Amino acid sequence: MRPVEAIVRRLRILRAVAFVTYKEWSAYRTHSMVSIIVGPLYFVVQYFIWNAVYGNAAAHGDTALHGMEFSQMLVYFGVNALIGYLTMDFADWNLQMLVGTGKYLTFALRPIHHRFFAFSQKVGHRILGFFFEFVPCLLIFLFLFRVPLVPPQPLWAALSIGLSFLMTFFVNYCIGLSAFWFVRASGIRSVYTILNSVFSGALIPLVFFPETVQRILFFLPFQYILYVPAMVCTGSYRLGGISLSLARIVGLQALAVAAAALLSEALYRAAMRRFTGVGA
Amino acid sequence: MAIFGECFRISLSTAMAYRANFIMVMTILFFSNTLFPLVTILIYGSGSGFPGWTFYEVLLIQAVFTISSGIGEVFFNGLFWNTNFAIRDGLFEVSLLKPVNALFWGVVSSIQPTGISVVLGGVAMAAVALAHTAPLTVASVSMAALLFLCGVSVTFSVTCFMSAISFKWVGNSRIPEMFGSILDFAKYPQDVFPLAVRGFTTIVMPVAMIGYYPAAALLGRADGASFVAIVPCAIFSVFAIWFYQKMIHRYEGVGG
Repeated sequence: MRPVEAIVRRLRILRAVAFVTYKEWSAYRTHSMVSIIVGPLYFVVQYFIWNAVYGNAAAHGDTALHGMEFSQMLVYFGVNALIGYLTMDFADWNLQMLVGTGKYLTFALRPIHHRFFAFSQKVGHRILGFFFEFVPCLLIFLFLFRVPLVPPQPLWAALSIGLSFLMTFFVNYCIGLSAFWFVRASGIRSVYTILNSVFSGALIPLVFFPETVQRILFFLPFQYILYVPAMVCTGSYRLGGISLSLARIVGLQALAVAAAALLSEALYRAAMRRFTGVGA
Repeated sequence: MAIFGECFRISLSTAMAYRANFIMVMTILFFSNTLFPLVTILIYGSGSGFPGWTFYEVLLIQAVFTISSGIGEVFFNGLFWNTNFAIRDGLFEVSLLKPVNALFWGVVSSIQPTGISVVLGGVAMAAVALAHTAPLTVASVSMAALLFLCGVSVTFSVTCFMSAISFKWVGNSRIPEMFGSILDFAKYPQDVFPLAVRGFTTIVMPVAMIGYYPAAALLGRADGASFVAIVPCAIFSVFAIWFYQKMIHRYEGVGG
């Protein structure tokens, strides 16, 4: 098969799996729409907390905390919530469930790499998230809260969010692959979830961490999942005392994604050597 | 109480059957809950903070909130998942057939001993906070204990509301996320919020009673409003129980 034909075939598979996933999850679209309440409430809490914190700092003569102004902080948390709707992933849970129940065998027999199938499912699921979570929350943030969420460099922001989409998937897939080695892998998933929530910048911008921790975070996957795209959307990036241009940090993010993809492939091959099935 | 005691014993025995998993889950829960004040630590570490509140005072609010959540985790938070799954799978009849109240059965059959680690995490945080705040008095501890009980009743009421909604919004696993975002208001000093929000968290849905008011009492900051807030807590709890019982009538099943 010629390369162009192979790509077209893969795109057809991706479209078909994504479409079916979209239709399947559309039956539960009101579940997705919970985000229309959760997202704005999360933002309102952050607004009042940081309003008080910056008010206190201003009383001592500081208008910026770790180089971030209050307006930039609001954009950070607004973008933070929205990026989550675009990149949300459950490949880890899904793969662990398939391995745990023995249903993975049916995928091992299909003429398609399971990772590509899972990725296609994610695309379909997130298209649903785009319509029922991202767009309504974006409109609320823009027109009700009047947060200036339009990135100063939209192309770099779009590219960074796209890379974050891939990074979330590859890392979660690696976590899911642990099910081939551990009978109950939910503990590993829990540990990863905690680490990710702390070190991805979901709770607080990473510049608030001690500088040594910030430097270590360059070598871990977490910041490339949320902090990097969120900062690219605010228009500047800084961590561990290092300021990088948007082009450089997005380039670094692309390298991290490539490393995660290679790691997932290596783990997948090792997992296939361990895998045994006796019928599902 | 006999049924409750028996159910607690069974839950503990079940957890002990998978001892390694039990210990791992306890450890993860303990550490994940002690990470809860991380944002506060980093905010105060940056040289700023919440006006009028020291780091240890805010830590105490979050410790009390954690203890209350932990008690909920052990004794009744499982009510939501039990109710939610039973409705989704058409198995709620099993609860209705028991010769006890369905809500009572839902609570006692959902005891989760792993939640003890959340309580321990909260107690550890409270110990650290109290070591750095003004000494306790008998009056402040008594007041705090009363308000804390009210806070636990609010936590229980929130669980009742979430479970009751499951009768209408079948199989939605995101209901706790929705209520969790409201509970976020309870984790910080209430004076950082405007009056309208404080009114909501004190009167309409008195979640401020879960962490803020008991901690304020321990710190000697309790005022008349703290005690007035007991009334909305009582109304909220009674309404939550009534709402759950009412929503049971919406259940439709054909025998599982």
